[in-house]
Amino acid sequence: MTDPTATLTRPVIVVQNAVKSFSGRVVVDIAELTLGDVPIEGLIGPNGAGKTTLMRMVMHSTGLDRGTITLWPHGAVAGGGVVLSNLPSHRMAGHGVVKSNQVIMDFDKLTIWDSLLLAAAASKSERPHRIFDEPRVFAEASDEVARYLDEFGIREPSTYAKSAGEKKLLDILRCLLLKPKFLLLDEPTAGLPEELTAKVIDEVRTVASQGTAVVIVEHNLDVIWNLCDEVHFMAEGKVIMKGTPAEIRAHRTVVEKYLGEGHV
Amino acid sequence: MNLDWLDAFLIYGFFTIVVVSGLGLLLHLQLGLARIANFGVVGFFGIGMYSFGVLYVKVDWPFGDPWQFLVCIAAGTLAAGLSGVVVGWLVGDLNEDGVLVGTLGFATAVFILATTEKELTGGAQGMGGLQFPYDVGGVKANELLWLVITAAVVGGIVFYVWRVHRSPYGRLLVAVGSNEPLARSLGKPTFRTKLWLFAVTSAGMGLLGAMYGVMERFLRPTNLGVDITLAAMVALVLGGSARVWGAVVGVVLTVGFFDIIVQNYLPVPVEWYSQALPVMREALFGAALILVLMFRPFGILGDMRRDKLMRSLHGD
Ligand SMILES: Nc1ncnc2c1ncn2[C@@H]1O[C@H](COP(=O)(O)OP(=O)(O)OP(=O)(O)O)[C@@H](O)[C@H]1O
Ligand SMILES: [Mg+2]
Repeated sequence: MTDPTATLTRPVIVVQNAVKSFSGRVVVDIAELTLGDVPIEGLIGPNGAGKTTLMRMVMHSTGLDRGTITLWPHGAVAGGGVVLSNLPSHRMAGHGVVKSNQVIMDFDKLTIWDSLLLAAAASKSERPHRIFDEPRVFAEASDEVARYLDEFGIREPSTYAKSAGEKKLLDILRCLLLKPKFLLLDEPTAGLPEELTAKVIDEVRTVASQGTAVVIVEHNLDVIWNLCDEVHFMAEGKVIMKGTPAEIRAHRTVVEKYLGEGHV
Repeated sequence: MNLDWLDAFLIYGFFTIVVVSGLGLLLHLQLGLARIANFGVVGFFGIGMYSFGVLYVKVDWPFGDPWQFLVCIAAGTLAAGLSGVVVGWLVGDLNEDGVLVGTLGFATAVFILATTEKELTGGAQGMGGLQFPYDVGGVKANELLWLVITAAVVGGIVFYVWRVHRSPYGRLLVAVGSNEPLARSLGKPTFRTKLWLFAVTSAGMGLLGAMYGVMERFLRPTNLGVDITLAAMVALVLGGSARVWGAVVGVVLTVGFFDIIVQNYLPVPVEWYSQALPVMREALFGAALILVLMFRPFGILGDMRRDKLMRSLHGD
């Protein structure tokens, strides 16, 4: 477990009165929630609880019916808040807020190299007149990309990602290459082979120890219990419980009611 | 220079090949990379042509050619680029149907304006007064030189497109075309990217329109028929819309075959030229398109091969 008392100032995201409904059915309704208090936070809850929707609301890829979501880049006490829910979704990465996807998202026409270089490239290299910038982008990113390729055993980066697992991994690697300050992971280990799961978890620990705030949604509760400093339990659009893994597990009846027996 | 051996029709045939190739290449950036199906190519072409023509003929410039010519052609290019920004802004967030209707509507609006703004454009009668910015001795020699200059411009477009494929910008365009929400989540300003794409490619289409107007020397709204858009679109899809050379290959096989081989070398009855041939041309292009889409949906050159490209750029 990472040390929650580390002196790094971590960004904090504050969700206030955030409501989202789909065709009249309220899916997320959160009065007040602060994310990023501790290095790695878990978000668990049954299917349909609204975990993905909440994360998409933070990224503003799903609009809010009402409420605000604010990023405090240097912690809640410091100033300089950015109202994420007023920004278009492409501005999030610039503020260091990055999310991986639960369902597979990929660029079907791009190779693995392409996909990773795209994430790493600065936008000034991507203007219409910058037609000689590839060597520069490659030089700046290739060491880091090569390290990930090596670590995760991707041997043919010039080809397209084929398996679902490879695409899922690529999605996470793209997020890491964006150098996130606030990293949201939506079921990052679902569909990954076991040895890759361990490596992804290692990477998550590393970025968290370097000052990135991480929020992770997982159905694999072993990952949650081992990795997280704090866990939010979400059901029916609301966070109904919050505490350390031990505290959450102590509420056996609640957890089992929602997640079924054998999870605690 | 003695150019008796050279048939004037042949110059026109090659000129059409060159111009439509240029349009197809620009369309390739939109359709092949960013997957925006722009059916208003001729609108941008027309804005460039008429802005250039009106400025050149109607405005009293304090300087003569070549400056007058160059300033007007730059203005035509700019006007087309700006119209691209406006159209891009209007259709940038629409789905495919919206883009189709929007761009087609834009091209129609340009056609109608060219017809109704008689004061400026001469309406359906057309507008004369354009000329080459040089005289190298004889109409044919002037036209041949203009063909060479236009070919050089289109050569520049080929180079640009070829470089775009090998640049981070091209990768961004492909990403926007493949999965726009994902590109946005990686911090890419996809809407602005499309606006700039429209600005640059529309400016190029406008430049080609102005150059086409110079060759015609007489501007008529009938120059702005949908057949130009279709020729560029059909050629691109036929050759391979995702490939750098797709448009060029497609144009050579369609326009080249028809406007050069059929019209110059086949013994076609003279009375066919005004009515039957244009119809046959559209029908043949349409048939070729259907056949290719049935048997080789990515066109003759096939789909984009970024795996090969990445290997050649960055090794394995
Ligand atoms: N775009 C949408 N349109 C309509 N309903 C939606 C949409 N997105 C989510 N929902 C609904 O909102 C509810 C919450 O979905 P969400 O994906 O946020 O749940 P979740 O907690 O992530 O569940 P899971 O653990 O299965 O991923 C579900 O009932 C879902 O059907
Ligand atoms: Mg979910």
